[in-house]
Amino acid sequence: MAFSGALTLTDLNDFITPSQACIKPVEQTNKPDVKDPGAASTEIQVDSSGSYYEVTSDGTKQAGRRLETAQISLNDCLACSGCITSAESVLITMQSHTEVLNFLTNNPDRSSPTHKIPVLSISPQSLASLAASVSSSSSHPVDLSHVLHRVKAFCKEALGFEHVFDTTFARHIALLEHAREFQERKRGEGKLPMLASACPGWICYAEKTHAEMLPFISTTKSPQQVMGTLVKEWMGGKWGKKPDQIYHVTVMPCYDKKLEASRQDFYNEQYATRDVDCVITTGELELLMREKNWDLSMAVGGEDAPKRTLKLGSTSPPASSSMSPATPLGLGDGDEIELPELIAHPGTSSGSYLQSVISMAGDASSCELAVRTVRGADYEEYTVADRATGAVLFKGAKCYGFRNLQNVVRKVGRDAGVQVGRGAAGRMAAVRARGRGRKTTADGAAPEVDKGYDYVEVMACPGGCVNGGGQLRSPVQDKDAEGYPRDWAQNGVKVDDDSDTTVSGPKANWGSKEWTKKVEGAYWGGLPTPPPTPPNAEPGEPNGHRLRPSVNADLLASQVLFDLCKPTAVSSPTTSWHTNMDDEAEEWRRKFFRTQYRAVESEIIGLAVKW
Amino acid sequence: MTENESPADIQLVAQLEGHDDRAWHVAWNPKRPILASCSADKTVRMYHYHSTSSTEGEGESKPVFSHSTTIPTGHAKTVRSIAWSPSGKTLATASFDSNIGIWAQEDEDDAEDLTGGNGEWECMSLLEGHETECKTVAYSAGGNLLASCSRDKTVWVWEVHPDYDFECMGVLMEHSQDVKCVAWHPTEEVLASASYDDTIKLYLDDPSEDWYCFATLAGHQSTVWSLAFSPDGRFLASGSDDFTVRIWERVQEHQWECVEVLEGHERSIYSVSWGKGKATSEGSLGWLASTGGDGLILVRELSITTPGESGGKSTLSDKVIARLPSAHDVADVNSVVWCPRDGYEDVFATAGDDGLVKVWKVHTN
Repeated sequence: MAFSGALTLTDLNDFITPSQACIKPVEQTNKPDVKDPGAASTEIQVDSSGSYYEVTSDGTKQAGRRLETAQISLNDCLACSGCITSAESVLITMQSHTEVLNFLTNNPDRSSPTHKIPVLSISPQSLASLAASVSSSSSHPVDLSHVLHRVKAFCKEALGFEHVFDTTFARHIALLEHAREFQERKRGEGKLPMLASACPGWICYAEKTHAEMLPFISTTKSPQQVMGTLVKEWMGGKWGKKPDQIYHVTVMPCYDKKLEASRQDFYNEQYATRDVDCVITTGELELLMREKNWDLSMAVGGEDAPKRTLKLGSTSPPASSSMSPATPLGLGDGDEIELPELIAHPGTSSGSYLQSVISMAGDASSCELAVRTVRGADYEEYTVADRATGAVLFKGAKCYGFRNLQNVVRKVGRDAGVQVGRGAAGRMAAVRARGRGRKTTADGAAPEVDKGYDYVEVMACPGGCVNGGGQLRSPVQDKDAEGYPRDWAQNGVKVDDDSDTTVSGPKANWGSKEWTKKVEGAYWGGLPTPPPTPPNAEPGEPNGHRLRPSVNADLLASQVLFDLCKPTAVSSPTTSWHTNMDDEAEEWRRKFFRTQYRAVESEIIGLAVKW
Repeated sequence: MTENESPADIQLVAQLEGHDDRAWHVAWNPKRPILASCSADKTVRMYHYHSTSSTEGEGESKPVFSHSTTIPTGHAKTVRSIAWSPSGKTLATASFDSNIGIWAQEDEDDAEDLTGGNGEWECMSLLEGHETECKTVAYSAGGNLLASCSRDKTVWVWEVHPDYDFECMGVLMEHSQDVKCVAWHPTEEVLASASYDDTIKLYLDDPSEDWYCFATLAGHQSTVWSLAFSPDGRFLASGSDDFTVRIWERVQEHQWECVEVLEGHERSIYSVSWGKGKATSEGSLGWLASTGGDGLILVRELSITTPGESGGKSTLSDKVIARLPSAHDVADVNSVVWCPRDGYEDVFATAGDDGLVKVWKVHTN
C-alpha cells in the first residue's frame, strides 16, 4: 500500500484503471494538448455522421475539435474482455433511433437500384411495454393488437417503412427449433442441461466469464435473429431482393439485443450486411414517436376490424382458440407478406422457452407438473413426474436476474462436474474436489439424489424481458427510477422498515416491480399470467378434438423450412418442423436457425505483473 | 490521570516472521487459540498460542505463539484478507485473483481440537463471481452469511449452506468505485461497505425482495479503507485516506450520523478495529485501534456519558490511551485486529508491508 520504495504493479490494483483489458489502445495522431494527467476535462462526442469531436465536459460546448477516427471496430469491442458497457455504449451510438432516421432520409427512391426495402420487426415485449404505457394514461385499456396496429401505422405513415411485423412468428420457429435441439441433446447429441440462449446479456456474460457454460447453451437462434433470417433470406427471396437490398430494424426490450445483432455470426460476408441492420429499444421507438409528434393513444383506422389474415391466439385465451380459415400461407397480394400475428406462447413473458420443452416431456394424461418456488417469481423449478411411478421425467427451471443466474451457474457446474469460472490454480480445484467426494461418501447416501436440471430458461433481467433495460419506465414512478435519492435519511425521509405506509421507504424498487407487473399483464392481453401447463395440455392433442392454436403457424414454419433449406427428398412442404431432411438441407437448417458461441479470453498477458 | 502521560503502553508480545512478501491481514479465530495471517506471497500462515500460566500475577501473563501450519492456498494472486466463521471451523480467503476460498479441516477431530490448527486445511469451496480483485470477506455474526467486495465495484452477499455450499443472495452495485472493505454489524444482519468513492453504504435484506442499500454515509474526503462496528453495535468507525477516523452513531434504526472526527494520523488510515478492551472508565464503549501509512498505532477508549437526572443528550468522548509509532519500523501497517476471545481483550495483532505479523498487548499503567 505504500508508495515509498519501489512502486510495483501490485500497488496499482488499488487504482481504478479504465479498461485495463482494452486490446486496442486508441492512438491519436492529433494529440490534444497535454494537461494535468488524469484530469479529464474534455470528452468525446460522436455526431450523427459518426465523426468524433472533442468537447469540454463542463457544459460549455465550444466548437468541438474533430478527431481522427479511432480505429476500434465494433468487433474489437466485442472481442475484448473489458467491460460490457463500453461495447454497449459504442453500439448504442451505432444503432440508435437517429441512425434509423438517417437511413430513412438517405434511402433513395423506390425506383432507384440502390433503394433498400425498410422493414421493421417489433417484439411482443416492446408492444406490451407500449400498451401498458398507453393504458396507464387512457381511460380504457389498449391491447397488444391495437398497439401493433398503431405502431404499423406510425412506421409506415410517419417513417416510411414498407413492412412491419411482430416477432412472434419468428419466436414460434425459434421455439420449434429449440425443442428440436432439446430432443437432440436428450438423445445424447450434446450436453444437458440445456440453457436458454435468447438473452444476449446472459450470452455476453457467459462468453466472457463462464466459458465452461457455453456447451450447455442452446445453439438455436433467438427470435430476433430468426426474424433476421426470415426477412433477409426468406422474404428477400420472395421479393427477389438480395439481403443487402433490405434494411431491417428490430424493436427490442433490451439494449443487449444490439450486441446480438452485431455478432459476426449474423453478418453476411457475401453481401456485407447483417440479418438485423439496426436494433432500437422500446424507449427509442417511443422517442421516435415523440419526435414525429405521433400519439400512440390515438386509435387508427381498422384496428378493431377482424383481420383477414392469419391471426392466432392473441385475443383469445391460450389453448382455446379455433383454427382460422385457411389462407394462402405467408404470401398476400404483391409484395405483401403476411405472417401470423401475435402468436401467444403460454409460459413466460420472456418467450416461453421452458414451456416449449416441458410440453415435450411426457404425455399429459400420465404426467404431472409440479412447480416449486426457489426464490421469488424469478427462480422457480418445474418438475414433470410420471403419475403412476413418481419417476421424475424432466426437471427444469426458470431463472431470471443476475443473482439467480450466479446460482444456476454454480449449480449447473456442480451437477455437471465442470470447473466453474476462470478457475484458480489446478491444485486448488483438486483439493476442492476431494472435499466434495468426502461429503457424499460420508453421507452414506447415493450421490446426487437430487436430479439435476434438464433445462433452464435463463434471463439476465429480474422479471425477464418485460422488464428489459430498453423498456419504457413507469410513467408515474419515473422520478424514482431515475434519480432515486439514495440517502433517504439525509433527505428528511423517515426511513422505517416497519411502516409500510411510506412507499418511498427502503423498499425503493417497489414502483418498478409494480410497473413490471402491469407490463406483464399487458403482455398476456389482460389475462392473468397463464399458469404453467402440464405437458402436452397446452398445444392441444394432435390427434384430439382440439387443434393446436398455432397450427397455421406450424404450417407456415414448415413452408419456410422448405423454402430455405430446399430438401431434395420431399417435393412439397414437410408437414412438421421436426421431420429430418437430407444432409444438405439439414446443413442449411443449421445455418439458418442455429448459431454458436465462443469464449472471450482475457487479452491481458501477465505484463510481468507481480501479484 | 494526567493528560501528558499515556494511561497505557503497547508492548510487543510476539513477532511472527515467515511471509515472503507484504503481510496484508490477520484474523483471530473466535473459538480456538489460532491466529491466521495472509500475504502477497499467496499463503495463509497459522499460529497457535497459549498463555503462560504466569505465577507473577494476572495481567502479566503473555501468550506464547508458535507456527502451526502454512496453507499455500493455490490462489493465483495475493491473498488480501481472511475471515473466520463464528464457529471457528471455517476460514475464508479473499484474493486478488477475484476468488474467495473456503477452508476447513478435513478431519472433524481437528476442527474440534481446541489447542490448535495442526490438521491439514483443505479448500472446500471456491466462490467465483467477482470480476476483479476481491478485497475483503466477512462472516456475519450468525455465521450464515458471507459478504465480499471487489475492485469491480460490487458487494456480494452469500448464504452459507451445509457442506460448504454457498448461494448468492445479492449483488449490490451501489458504489461508483472500488469497494475496499465490508463489515457486518455485531448482532444484526446489517452490512456496511467502504469505497474509493469516499462513501460508506449500509445494506439490509428485504425478506420479500433483495438486499438493498438503505443509507449512504458521506463525509470522508477520500477513500474509506476500513470499517469497524462498536461491540455494542451502536457505533461504526471508519478509517480513511483523509487521515481521519470518523465515528457514526445509529440515531434511528436505519439512520446513522457522523458524531465524531478523530485526528492524529499523518498518513492514510488503512485499518481500524474496535474491541471490548479492558475498560478504564464508566460508560466505556471499548477500545478503538487505528493504524496505516504512518506506521503509528493509536488506541483510543471511547465512552459515552449518560445524561444526568435532568436529561439532555448523551455525549461521546474519546481518549487516546496508548500510542506506538513505527510499529513495523518504516513499513506501512496494513491491518490491526483485536483478539475477540475472553481474557485477551487487551491483545491485538498487526500486519505490515515488511511481511511481519506482530502481536501486541496494551498494558495499563
